[in-house]
Amino acid sequence: MTLVWVIYDIVKNKTRSKVVKICKDAGLYRVQKSVFLGDINSNSRDSVILEIESIIDPEADSVYIFPMDKATFEGITLLGQAFDKKYVSDEIITRFF
Amino acid sequence: MDDKNPIINISDVLEYEFCPRFIYFIYCLDIPQHEELRFKVLEGREIHKKVTQVNRNYIRKKIGAQSREFDVFLASQKYHFKGILDEILFLNDGKAAPLEYKFAEYKDNLFRTTKSQLILQSILIEENYGKKVDRSFVCYVRSNHKLVEMDIRQSDVDKVKAEISDILNIIRTGFYPKTKKNINKCTDCCYRNICT
Repeated sequence: MTLVWVIYDIVKNKTRSKVVKICKDAGLYRVQKSVFLGDINSNSRDSVILEIESIIDPEADSVYIFPMDKATFEGITLLGQAFDKKYVSDEIITRFF
Repeated sequence: MDDKNPIINISDVLEYEFCPRFIYFIYCLDIPQHEELRFKVLEGREIHKKVTQVNRNYIRKKIGAQSREFDVFLASQKYHFKGILDEILFLNDGKAAPLEYKFAEYKDNLFRTTKSQLILQSILIEENYGKKVDRSFVCYVRSNHKLVEMDIRQSDVDKVKAEISDILNIIRTGFYPKTKKNINKCTDCCYRNICT
């Protein structure tokens, strides 16, 4: 399992919605409007890359997929309306609101 | 399926190698794994379709092929398994070889499941065509169609035959096998929610 960031800038609304769905289905969490983050295995990451690649327009859109190790993740500084680090790294399995 | 005389698929042997419990869940409890929901599986199937349609007359002469057949369904009565072969190559030296297309990247070595798949395919060719098979090939679509050759060794053939009889035993008796207990495999397994 590795932490993966998916950051995108997509022109068409329809394509963007599809990318959102792909990220959510893979188990990633939405941490900002165009930023997803989550702890997924290498097969899921490979599948996410292929799926997104098949729908985007390479001339107009950009999608960055960054893997990140746990130690670097721990060093992240969050300011303002930040996400819950434990939640994103799957340390909290169930969350009660 | 006839429970006393089951005929398994080549893919069942590969699943058994991933984890023996797959056989139990699929055949004894009749819970399908819904692999068709996976994007990579769907994309792989498209590639298989394309291969049979595009450039049909292309023969791989570099590896000594004379002719080829696509998408061939073969079954082995002796060992009780069946499968569809992507391509069978008939070679200059009178022998034959299976060629398998993989929608994957080549990672410097063949996975155990890929090796077994080729071995099973070679058993099918030998039984149905009566030709000797001592080589096999894999084409990695996502590594620029890289062609990798693998020799078929008798010791590996014997291992795979033993696995087939283990699988048939699970199906006939309903025996609940042990898992592989590999965390990496379990996280990507479709039965992780129901497996003990």
